[in-house]
Amino acid sequence: MRRRRAAELSDDAIGAILLAALAVFVLAPLVCVVLWAFAEAWRPPAPLPTAWGFKYWGLLMARADVAAAIPTSLLISTLVTLLSAAVCLPAAYAFARLDFPGRRWLLLSFIAVNAFPRFPLYVAMAVLFLSAGLIGTVTAVVLVQLVFTLLYMIWIPAAAFRGVDPRMEEAGRDVGASHLTVLTRITLPQAAPALGTALLLTFVNTFYEVEGALLVGVPDVRTLPVVMLSLITGQIIIQYGAVLSVMLWVPSLVLLVFARRLFESRTFAAGFVGGSR
Amino acid sequence: MASTAAGAQDRRIAAPGAAVMAARRGHAAFGLALVGPAFALMVLVVLAPAAATLVRTFFVDGGSGPTLANYAAFFSDARSVSNLLFTVEVTTATLAILLAIGLMLALYLRFSHSRLIGAIQILALFPLFVPGIVISFALIRFLGPTGVVPMVLRSLGIAGYQTPYLHPSGAVIGLVWENIPLTVMLLTAGLAQIPQSAIEAARDVGAGALRILLSIILPQLTRSIIVVISLNFLGIFGSFTVPYILGPAAPQMMSIFMQRTFSELHLGSIAETQAAITFLVCLVAGAIYTAAVFRDTARGGAAA
Repeated sequence: MRRRRAAELSDDAIGAILLAALAVFVLAPLVCVVLWAFAEAWRPPAPLPTAWGFKYWGLLMARADVAAAIPTSLLISTLVTLLSAAVCLPAAYAFARLDFPGRRWLLLSFIAVNAFPRFPLYVAMAVLFLSAGLIGTVTAVVLVQLVFTLLYMIWIPAAAFRGVDPRMEEAGRDVGASHLTVLTRITLPQAAPALGTALLLTFVNTFYEVEGALLVGVPDVRTLPVVMLSLITGQIIIQYGAVLSVMLWVPSLVLLVFARRLFESRTFAAGFVGGSR
Repeated sequence: MASTAAGAQDRRIAAPGAAVMAARRGHAAFGLALVGPAFALMVLVVLAPAAATLVRTFFVDGGSGPTLANYAAFFSDARSVSNLLFTVEVTTATLAILLAIGLMLALYLRFSHSRLIGAIQILALFPLFVPGIVISFALIRFLGPTGVVPMVLRSLGIAGYQTPYLHPSGAVIGLVWENIPLTVMLLTAGLAQIPQSAIEAARDVGAGALRILLSIILPQLTRSIIVVISLNFLGIFGSFTVPYILGPAAPQMMSIFMQRTFSELHLGSIAETQAAITFLVCLVAGAIYTAAVFRDTARGGAAA
């Protein structure tokens, strides 16, 4: 009995150490950024900012590059998400529900997309775009950013469609419902939460995407993360980077709240095993 | 792996209907029509550019027939070679640290009875929801020369802090931060597959914790570890944002090297050779990953 209590105690102690280490490593840098975003003055020896306020939010929003980047980013992310959904959702449904020739090889080819290192692929596309005169256009950025949405938009929805019991669809058809009715009244509503997650993940990840946009968009098309990159590496004013971090993070927090129910579910993990970032 | 579990579930659901399978077979043309557009897009944005790049690296302007001149030029340039080696070093170091941290966390999450595991899991997965650019900036403010860590150390009277910012260790720290969730998720899923009975049986015959780890757990975790290593290798070797912001100016990771060659020096064909060499280095990891995931997928008849 005493031994078991000692084991429990050391179990909790190890957990406390791991938790503390993770909190320092994972959370402390982010807390630091949030503080900076609302700091009007913070000199190194002071443990906290000496003056708080929204001054730098106003200054940042007044910058022409930031003002121009917000609509660009929203437009591109929306286009990518819609295009990706239109192209990938039917494929996800087919992989989940239908048997067709070459299914295994098609599946293999989509898995293999994960096996390409991302950046060299962007370079390969950029060279093609250069000869086609597409560098610095919205089209080029959308095409580049479509690459990684393939993964979210096929595996997560495929897992969702597979999670719908086929017997329910059969039952619907038995009582005379058409395929379309079964799809819109039975399959889609049940898969909806996971489909929503896939759309949101695609939108948020596209919104944050910086490397593809930097390579093929600059100088004429600058998304918000690309502007942020130049503000960080330019080291103009610390608060600019901090305010943009907090601003850019809002959609991510929406995702966090929305996806919490799916957080530990198999659907969510499946999306990352099949299609990691 | 989660994929195997998902596959098992799929089999269970699909089992009752031989009639269902017959009906599915009738949908052959329909299925191909649904997959077609996605496949075409994948060819357009992935396969075609990659293949075009690989082919073009074997030709030079004004030359006749295929040649290895582009590759010879890359490997005779000291800066190119040092960038390639640097990328390998950063990737190896990051992988080793990730695997150690990931195994520690995943083992604790699997075997602990503590009430803290919920919180540990949330923190370990939290970086999924933080974009690379935000964490890179956050780590400058945290570990940089004017950041919180040197400030705290100084107030504690500890001197001699060397900032990792703009050093190779800065890139490694940032990449570890970014890739912890994927690593923990894959290893946790792998550990969940190991039957409790196997561990209890070993414990009953007197095996200690270390013995159980080495003889029961690790052998069954091999596949997960292979997927973790290959997937992280691909992600880290081709990473851009984190090492661009946190790493040194020279030597550079291959992605940053390519970006400078393409965007600043406007040397498209040299950037292509750099890309092709990165593809070739990643080919092994990519093949291992694809084979491991596809075997699971094909067995379960389920993707992901």
